[in-house]
Amino acid sequence: MAVQPSHSDRRELVRERAFTAAGLTAAIALVTTIVLFLVQLFVTSRASRAAFGLPFLWRSEWNPVTEQFGALPMVVGTLITGFGALLISTPFALGIAIFLADYAGKKVAEPVKYLIGLLGGLPSVIFGLWGLFVLVPLVSKFEVWFGKLVGSESLVASGTTGVGLLAAILLLAIMILPFSASLILESLLVVPTELKEGALALGATKWDTIQNVELPYVRRSTVGALVLSLGRALGETMAVTMVIGNGMRLPHSLFDPANTLASAIANQFLEATSPVYIASLVQLALILFVIAIIINIVARIILRRGVQQ
Amino acid sequence: MKIFGRSSVILATLLVTALTISGCGSGGGSATVKELSGAGATFPYPLYSKMFDTYDGVTGVRVNYNSIGSGGGIKALTDKTVDFGASDAFLNDQEEAAMGAPVLHIPTCVGAVVLSYNLDGSPSLKLDGSVTANIFLGTVTKWNDPSIAKLNPGVSLPDLTITVVHRSDGSGTTSIFTNYLAAVSTAWKAAVGAGKSVSWPAGVGGKGNDGVAGMITQTKGSIGYIELVYAVQTGIPFTSLKNASGTFVAPSLTSSAAAAAVSLPDDLRVVIVNSPGADAYPISAFTWILVYKEQNYAGRTLAQAQALKKLLTWILTDGQAVNEGLSYARLPGAAVTRALALVSSMTYGGTAIP
Repeated sequence: MAVQPSHSDRRELVRERAFTAAGLTAAIALVTTIVLFLVQLFVTSRASRAAFGLPFLWRSEWNPVTEQFGALPMVVGTLITGFGALLISTPFALGIAIFLADYAGKKVAEPVKYLIGLLGGLPSVIFGLWGLFVLVPLVSKFEVWFGKLVGSESLVASGTTGVGLLAAILLLAIMILPFSASLILESLLVVPTELKEGALALGATKWDTIQNVELPYVRRSTVGALVLSLGRALGETMAVTMVIGNGMRLPHSLFDPANTLASAIANQFLEATSPVYIASLVQLALILFVIAIIINIVARIILRRGVQQ
Repeated sequence: MKIFGRSSVILATLLVTALTISGCGSGGGSATVKELSGAGATFPYPLYSKMFDTYDGVTGVRVNYNSIGSGGGIKALTDKTVDFGASDAFLNDQEEAAMGAPVLHIPTCVGAVVLSYNLDGSPSLKLDGSVTANIFLGTVTKWNDPSIAKLNPGVSLPDLTITVVHRSDGSGTTSIFTNYLAAVSTAWKAAVGAGKSVSWPAGVGGKGNDGVAGMITQTKGSIGYIELVYAVQTGIPFTSLKNASGTFVAPSLTSSAAAAAVSLPDDLRVVIVNSPGADAYPISAFTWILVYKEQNYAGRTLAQAQALKKLLTWILTDGQAVNEGLSYARLPGAAVTRALALVSSMTYGGTAIP
């Protein structure tokens, strides 16, 4: 198309301005939304802080009838399931990523990558159903076996339903695996070929190269991937609700029913009517928000240290 | 830059659409009201959707009902964004005070909560109030406990741990069930109390009737409470219960309706658990539609008030025919009479609605 240069230039300018304006609006909208989130959570939860103050964090009673609320069981449940899942899934994620990046041929890697993507996109309620009908009975069998092994009646005191912390940790580990694996894989794939070839040329074995060249190179993005996965684990609601047993008491063992912040809110918010009850649920949301922020900050600090080294 | 240019236009359009779409409001009232809206309890949702569908066919008035939960329904009515709210528990005095104006409780049906269990061979079981309370308190822990065996002579009960399953979400079902336990057991009343969500001394929680039912069908030796409708539809076995007059009654539409056939207060804000009726199933309850007594608020028209009154009257009369087909018990005659009196007590600007 032959358009006059000046006309084209002007159109270009208008477009560029429109794009900048649109981009700026989107950026401002995002920041504003997050700030408004925090403000809203803070304001709506005021009644809870007025009633319980800071001890809300370490009180372990949650009783809607007497209107006595404390967040400890849910905070503990959230952290244990989140970090537990991360602990279990990280070795697998690293293994999958390294295998696909360095060992598997294209014929294997491509379909596997596709499957990982598919797994990552599955709605969490499907994971939840699978967890309830497949994973939970397995955990229940394990629970009985383990109880007999250590001869502990109290370990299986909650009955052998299979639902509880352990089932939630295992399910979350499976759910976050595709995230961390594909993110780590992406970063492994961009390790410069010269570095790898250089190491190999110096006589390093494949394993030496992975250990001393590739992994240090992707350390930053790996931590980033793990933080993202942890974020998903901490905030996962539907699937966790279906397998964690929704106990509002402090769990004493991995087999006990427990609850997470997100799951407690999702379960109880709809039918909560009294002001202090609603405010306490919102306070849980605020705590979850703050936990997410803290984890992000800690991850950033770790990353910065990594860079300085 | 060509590509950037085009995408900038698309982006800008998307943004503008996104920003304006949220600003859409609903239209104002017109002379003939063709639409009413309500929000609230999930328990009667299947009933209401069928009722309102029928009502649309009969009168041409569409009723939109959002089953967002009793709490949400009460909030929506308080915020005056709906014509009526719906709740499985009646408002306590504190909640009613928060509404700012008198609210009428119009019952629409009688619901029953049953105790479902999972035992090999599904023997038919009988329980009474105190044993049920002790099971849910966690003090009766084995199926072959003497207190259960005593109620079930001739049934061989296994030496199996009882797994209690309860609702994890706040629900009217829990409110009905815990109200029953509090009525029959002082220990329960003191230790736990009653409400839509309570601090459970034992067991695991499932979300919704399906969550509880799923957990029960999967766990040998479990017992939990679900709505009668749900138990009938899914075919899970449930127990008979000893009622206040000492007879064992199996839950059914007839026996739960019988629970409501007792002397009722005029405002119908009443818990009918542990009903004294001879054939009454003890864990029964009303579910209510909530409306403001004075209908002239937030710019409502007389036509809207009339349409709402007409709907409520229909629900209490012709609409009751829908109940049983969906396993909700009909309101007994006395309750209908009182409820109709409540509906006629609605006012617009201080005078009765014609």
